[in-house]
Amino acid sequence: MARHLSRRDLIVRGGALGVTGLSLPALLAACGGSETASTTTGPGTSVTTASDGSITVFNWPLYIENDDASTSPTLKAFTAATGTKVDYRPEVDGNDTFTAKYEPFLSKGEGIGGDIVVLTSYMAARYIAQGYVQAFDPTNFPNRANLIDSRTNPSWDPGNKFSVPYAIGQVGIAYFPDKVGGTITSLSDILDPKLKNRVSILDSLGDTVGSFMVDLGFNPEEGNIDEAKQAIAAIKKARDAGQFRKIVGNSYTDDLQTGEVWAALAWSGDIASLKNDVPDIEFVLPAKGALSFTDNMMIPVGAKNKAGAEGFMNFLYDPKNSGPLFEAISYVSPVKGASAFMTDAGKDNIFINPPVGAKLYEFPPVSAAAYEELSALFLEATQL
Amino acid sequence: MAGQASSAADVQPSQRWIPWMLMVPGIVWLTVFFAIPMFSMGKLSLENGGFSNYRNAFSDYRELIPRTFGYALAATVICILLGYPLAYVIAMRGGRRKNLLLALVVLPFFTTYLIRAISWRILLGDRGPVTRVLHSLHIIGQNTSIVGTAPAVIGALSYNFLPFMVLPIYVSLEKIDRKLLEVGPDLYASGWRTFRKVTLPLSLPGLFAGSLLTFIPASGDFINVEFVGSDAQRMIGNVVANNFVKEQFRPGLSALSFVLMAIILLGVLLYARLLGTEELV
Repeated sequence: MARHLSRRDLIVRGGALGVTGLSLPALLAACGGSETASTTTGPGTSVTTASDGSITVFNWPLYIENDDASTSPTLKAFTAATGTKVDYRPEVDGNDTFTAKYEPFLSKGEGIGGDIVVLTSYMAARYIAQGYVQAFDPTNFPNRANLIDSRTNPSWDPGNKFSVPYAIGQVGIAYFPDKVGGTITSLSDILDPKLKNRVSILDSLGDTVGSFMVDLGFNPEEGNIDEAKQAIAAIKKARDAGQFRKIVGNSYTDDLQTGEVWAALAWSGDIASLKNDVPDIEFVLPAKGALSFTDNMMIPVGAKNKAGAEGFMNFLYDPKNSGPLFEAISYVSPVKGASAFMTDAGKDNIFINPPVGAKLYEFPPVSAAAYEELSALFLEATQL
Repeated sequence: MAGQASSAADVQPSQRWIPWMLMVPGIVWLTVFFAIPMFSMGKLSLENGGFSNYRNAFSDYRELIPRTFGYALAATVICILLGYPLAYVIAMRGGRRKNLLLALVVLPFFTTYLIRAISWRILLGDRGPVTRVLHSLHIIGQNTSIVGTAPAVIGALSYNFLPFMVLPIYVSLEKIDRKLLEVGPDLYASGWRTFRKVTLPLSLPGLFAGSLLTFIPASGDFINVEFVGSDAQRMIGNVVANNFVKEQFRPGLSALSFVLMAIILLGVLLYARLLGTEELV
């Protein structure tokens, strides 16, 4: 694999992001959502065809070859095939932070300067329910038929009218066997007091609370709020005992890179790429079951090039385009037959093709009220 | 001349306004950037629960508040211990090199705050040079790290605020009339006694100003914990910075910010009384 990522760059970038990232939304919010701050090009949900021949994609970091849009073979091939340029912005740092920043505009039906946003299922469900996104035009997106069965017709988007997965991954445990002194098979293992202040968990509600629910013997897919609260209580207890060194989003890989965190709740693809720099890191899906997440592409209201966005999705849903991309980013492709276009190494990679029989759960979309309650509890337990 | 005298008398009433006119920019500034934000934050801190937000601030942050001020206080004390002798040597023994020495104190601070914090992280990290040397000399255990501990955070805070301690102390030492110091030995006082009875009291305004310039920003700091601390060292600044974006916490965090301010104010007043510097500053 040709991944090469300078983690030091990420530390610096992550740090800068940390500072600007918190001030901008706070300022925006403090101004009561001033219109001038909006990057919208104008209201309306009109479907325009490739007026200026470009689309803007808001995606997560590490979701394109080498984390570098300017050299990405996928984006180059897409532009060569369709003439549409891609303004690719890997600035989705978290479902909640992204939403906190843009919801004021979306809720007014204003554009956010993007043609595609990529968000995790539980948040995608909320966008669809709130009317923040537009339905696809099936004629522009015939390859949607290549979506794998397990992600077709989710309860929150029957017929995949508004969303299709961009990528699928798992939440597992990344750890250093020499430092933790053995193998790790469950989340309880990383809550051992001998790992005090050496563990990190994710600040993402679904992934972290869901993982703790599985560890407590619950099935998160049932969406039982009381069970989720028990999981949050367990997280709080461990945090108060000083178990967690960091509770963060994407920047958790920095502390794995420096070796300061010995065991981390981690997103599979991140560790796949980190393994190139830090070969002694291991990744395991907890034996009791792991959370699986799906990040979904949607077209927000006010998108200025909806047809271009559909064309981009159609391109990604061609297995011969999807295979090489997902082999490079080490996530699970949602496109049928994509692995036929991977090398043998890619086919055997557990990050790309998870072991058959692994128990995988997806954190379910819950009602807005329940989500708000859980989110407040989770933030209180992990951030305050 | 008569004409001049009469014109001066004519101007007098309007002259009375000149000091007020000169204060207008400052007053406008304070109103727009201090009074109005304070008022709106005060209002915000009373939303969703009123005064219970303040009660909750104390109960919810039982560990956070003492930790924040403990770190700030420790950093201030370290800055005094390091900064006072440094300022003393520069002011009293610097000679021709005074300006150079002062420039050297300030020089590292031409680099931005953020970059310095990140540099400390790289230096003190588990795979950084400092930790590796201490590991190989068996001064600290193989699995002990420096980053993510209270001393690392206090050290970084002290480093960042040291010049703010040194410069005011330097200024007040520099101002001391040297003849006063010569009187000490004449009256058979030892060097230490002269220092204690003459130099130290005369430098208290500088010490006081330096302590404020260190303690107040250190109490509100969040960058250092972000880079050389861990979740267990989080300070009030971190909690506010990371969560103010989230609407539901805004009233509580506004209340927490006022608590931070109130405690700083109380501490400063107490300190001023202790040093007896009200009339000096």
